[in-house]
Amino acid sequence: MSRRLLWVVLGVVAVVALAIGSRGAGPSSAEERLWSIADGVRCPQCSGQSVADSDAPAAKALRDQIRADIEAGRSDDTIRARLADGAYGEDILLNPPRSGFAALVWIVPVAVVVVAFGGLALAFRRWERQGPATPSRRDRELVAAALGPDPDDPHGEGAGR
Amino acid sequence: MNASLGTAGVALALVASVGGILTVVLAQAKGRPALLRQVPAFVGLVALGAVLATAAMQRALITRDFSVEFVAQNGSRATSLPFTISTMWSALEGSILLWGLVLAGYLVAVIWKFRTRLEDPLVAWAMLAMFAVTAFFFGLMVGPADPFGTVANPPLDGPGPNPLLQDHLLMAFHPPMLYLGYVGFTVPFAFAIGALATGRVGEGWLVETRRWTLFAWGFLTVGIVLGAWWSYEVLGWGGYWAWDPVENASLLPWLTGTAYLHSVMVQERRGMLRVWNLSLLCATFALTILGTFLTRSGVLDSVHAFSESSIGPILLGFFGVVVLVTLGLIGWRGEQLRAPGRIDSPLSREGSFLANNLLFAGFAFVVLFGTVFPLIAEAIDDRRVSVGVPYFNRMAGPIGLMLLFLMAVAPALPWRKASPETLSQRLLWPAWFGVGVVVACVAAGVRGLVPLVAFGMAAFAGGAALRQVILATRRNGWRGFVGRTNGGMIVHLGVVLVAVGLAGSGSFAEQAEARLAPGDSRVVHGHEVTYVGYDESDEPSRLIRAAEVRVDGRTLEPRLQRFPNATQEIGKPAVRYGIGDTVYLALIQAPRSSDGTILLRIIVQPLVGWLWAGGAVMVLGTILSAFPGRRRRGTEPVSAPTRWSGRRRPAPDDAVPERTDAVDPDDEREPVVTG
Repeated sequence: MSRRLLWVVLGVVAVVALAIGSRGAGPSSAEERLWSIADGVRCPQCSGQSVADSDAPAAKALRDQIRADIEAGRSDDTIRARLADGAYGEDILLNPPRSGFAALVWIVPVAVVVVAFGGLALAFRRWERQGPATPSRRDRELVAAALGPDPDDPHGEGAGR
Repeated sequence: MNASLGTAGVALALVASVGGILTVVLAQAKGRPALLRQVPAFVGLVALGAVLATAAMQRALITRDFSVEFVAQNGSRATSLPFTISTMWSALEGSILLWGLVLAGYLVAVIWKFRTRLEDPLVAWAMLAMFAVTAFFFGLMVGPADPFGTVANPPLDGPGPNPLLQDHLLMAFHPPMLYLGYVGFTVPFAFAIGALATGRVGEGWLVETRRWTLFAWGFLTVGIVLGAWWSYEVLGWGGYWAWDPVENASLLPWLTGTAYLHSVMVQERRGMLRVWNLSLLCATFALTILGTFLTRSGVLDSVHAFSESSIGPILLGFFGVVVLVTLGLIGWRGEQLRAPGRIDSPLSREGSFLANNLLFAGFAFVVLFGTVFPLIAEAIDDRRVSVGVPYFNRMAGPIGLMLLFLMAVAPALPWRKASPETLSQRLLWPAWFGVGVVVACVAAGVRGLVPLVAFGMAAFAGGAALRQVILATRRNGWRGFVGRTNGGMIVHLGVVLVAVGLAGSGSFAEQAEARLAPGDSRVVHGHEVTYVGYDESDEPSRLIRAAEVRVDGRTLEPRLQRFPNATQEIGKPAVRYGIGDTVYLALIQAPRSSDGTILLRIIVQPLVGWLWAGGAVMVLGTILSAFPGRRRRGTEPVSAPTRWSGRRRPAPDDAVPERTDAVDPDDEREPVVTG
């Protein structure tokens, strides 16, 4: 089999396997939903921990509230919205909002990375156009000197480090 | 007695570091290099002062000298000896003292290493920078963070350190390791300053500092992994990384340091990226200072933050000075830093290093921006927002996957330019290995796109790293394991293990809170958990209440512990690691008097053990990288040939046939040795 064919087969196998693998992740149990929501809710009593990570009374109370909401048949988003609109304010949610000023936390990093890669692509275009540097006579002498055996360094290990 | 000894030690170190600064400045200004031979004496005095102060603090802690304020606030008669010793770094002032001690140790190491080159201006300027940093930290201890303040009426006993820091020996090791890493970045930073100050930016100072950077980076890695392990084994929520501001503060310099360790190779080989490398080193050091500020100023809410103190603004000011000085020097040297040369093709070893650096820098930016964003939002928008785990996972996940992909492809790329042929040949079996792992996982019933992609990428990267190691050992025997390239591949294998652990434990955790009466069982993810009995024991340093729980026939004892003087009980989870699943039990409530039931949190996560194993492999690889590798003449051809020879500028449409007979370090053939 030629190598190119092997790559094609590999691509097909990978796509099929991932397609099968991503299908089965169906609706999760109530317990799993509870923990996944609790992971994104800040415990109001503890410093910077989530409701899932803390055993403080406030965290337990919030877990019970989420559990009750799940049993009442509310969707995940509704449960989160109820918490944010409630007594705690929107900073109870560890996932920052996607609207208003706070949306910058999502936009800025992505923009920075995109701009950086764009700059790199431009730099490559410029290098491509430059062509290779032409060595001067002094450069050639330097290379010739470097290629000669160095009396202090017969094995070329760098200057005795 | 202890307090006056300690104060004397701190003062001695401060005066000696200021003396060192003056000596270097005088020698440079007056052009009298002979003065520089005095520098080791000042280093010795700094070290003496730091050791004296540390010894005084330890003596005060061990002899329960409550007349020292720090001991009165953090020590206790009930604390056992190992935790008495580690009490020093359990609170702000003592941790600054540890910082000073480690810094003094690095000063001694540097001066010993360069003892024959004291009069070299580059070494002199580097020493000046190190003395300045030392003076800053000992200055903190003289003023706002004085560890040796005294109490007029000494109490009979103290509260002891925070209970969370008292029940796991990892706490004795995690901070010193972290500090060896954190403080170690001062050395390459100092040499960067020296290179900028003397204008010798194109020379071998990079090679001089590479091993120092590697040393610091290795310890920082150990420190971060130990910290994660401690969180997992102590905090009781089955997590090891919460993207907490303090954890992020330790990750930031690690990210920029990792970027530097890669990009420095481009400079060594091609002489390019000088400004970028200098900036990375300085950024790494500046981020250690910023991290210290975040940890100790109380501006951000965190589980691990030290109590609030007045040193926040001072640290922030120092951070500002470091940034300004660095930017000023780089701006001043601007023209000299411009390296000639260019990168021929994005599809090459140096091109992949550039991509790696962008990703790491982007990663660091995301972490920094997300960490400080709540402050920005409150200042500008007057809105309180929380930026927590979900945000960081969503942002860091894609970056992590891209890094894994680069890790798979980059080692197979030759310098200068790669042909698609070469890549296709070298990456075929690593790629098949990746796909094979995905197929095996799907067949075993693993579901979920993100973890499957992560496993596949990790296996691809692991295969690529393994391929390099196998080729190198085939060619050079045991030497195939040492040296920068080979050791680096071992580090990559460690990173792959960590990535697998992160993806597995993050995606497939299953938890339950179970109320169990004696004899009750609960099955979680195929593991049967049975509550057997309950036991109380009273030790001098704590009261222990332990539940006996049988998991798959083995006994585990999750506990609740009450330390004297502590207001609340803290849990001590019990963990059973396996190659696959890890079972984690945390006792939340002791038996109720009404019906004798306990409340137990049961968490079953796959692959957690891989994280710690991966950390160990990373450290092993770092050690192997520090040894000199295969001896190669510097002039041996190892890159693809340049496309044009001679002076003729090619026309844009000049189609040059591609040569594929490049000699390349990864080639199976023995390279031609010339000369």
